[in-house]
Amino acid sequence: MVHALEEIHRLLRPGGTLIEIHPALEVPFVEVRSNGELLFSEEDPGYDYEDDLRCAEEAVATAVGRGVFVSEDRRRFELRTHASSVEELREYWAVYGAYDPEEKEETLVRQQDEMYARAHDVLEHSPGAELEYVEPAMMSRLSCS
Amino acid sequence: MTVRIDPEGHETEALFALVELEGREVLEIGCGDGRLTWRYADRVAHVTAIEPFGDSIARANLRLSEAPTERVEFRHVLFEDLAAASDADVFDVALLSWSLC
Repeated sequence: MVHALEEIHRLLRPGGTLIEIHPALEVPFVEVRSNGELLFSEEDPGYDYEDDLRCAEEAVATAVGRGVFVSEDRRRFELRTHASSVEELREYWAVYGAYDPEEKEETLVRQQDEMYARAHDVLEHSPGAELEYVEPAMMSRLSCS
Repeated sequence: MTVRIDPEGHETEALFALVELEGREVLEIGCGDGRLTWRYADRVAHVTAIEPFGDSIARANLRLSEAPTERVEFRHVLFEDLAAASDADVFDVALLSWSLC
């Protein structure tokens, strides 16, 4: 990953900017909302990529430590994915998450299924409510040193 | 309803607060289906958006074919291969989009 950052530095013009976006080191959560009212909120028990995120943060820190980039600013934000049903959201993830070569532990899958079942129950009793998958994320600005 | 990602615009709000994109030559690494690309493309001089997954880049190119613009170029290529074939000092901004981990 550090080599990739060094290559990005090479491709950038002097004074160029790298914007790096990745999930924050926080557990994503699932909400059900109706007209802004929060009806359901639980953490995603299937979250299991903390180690990957730590590697990403370490790669950026190493590139900064080597003087490849200068860290200038960063912002935390929430990326919200909206769906009308659990099925719709999970179908979306089945495609979007297909890049992840690692299989989740059976226990995590079961806990995630149970969480989505609870969200489904709330949705069923709340016409017009929406499901939201909330992913805390970090965006950093680094400049070529 | 189809799945909607970030209709609140939190991601672009952070992006535009952090970097000036007007007239810039941009490289986006890990563009997926172009979800984020289209949200800033009208500001840049040109964006080369790359993605290693063929299905995603096919969706990106399908949308590009429906709204052609010379500002946006989607390429199905690994970053390592793009870098190996590229000269130095060609982009003003690199956007590493959810792909470092």
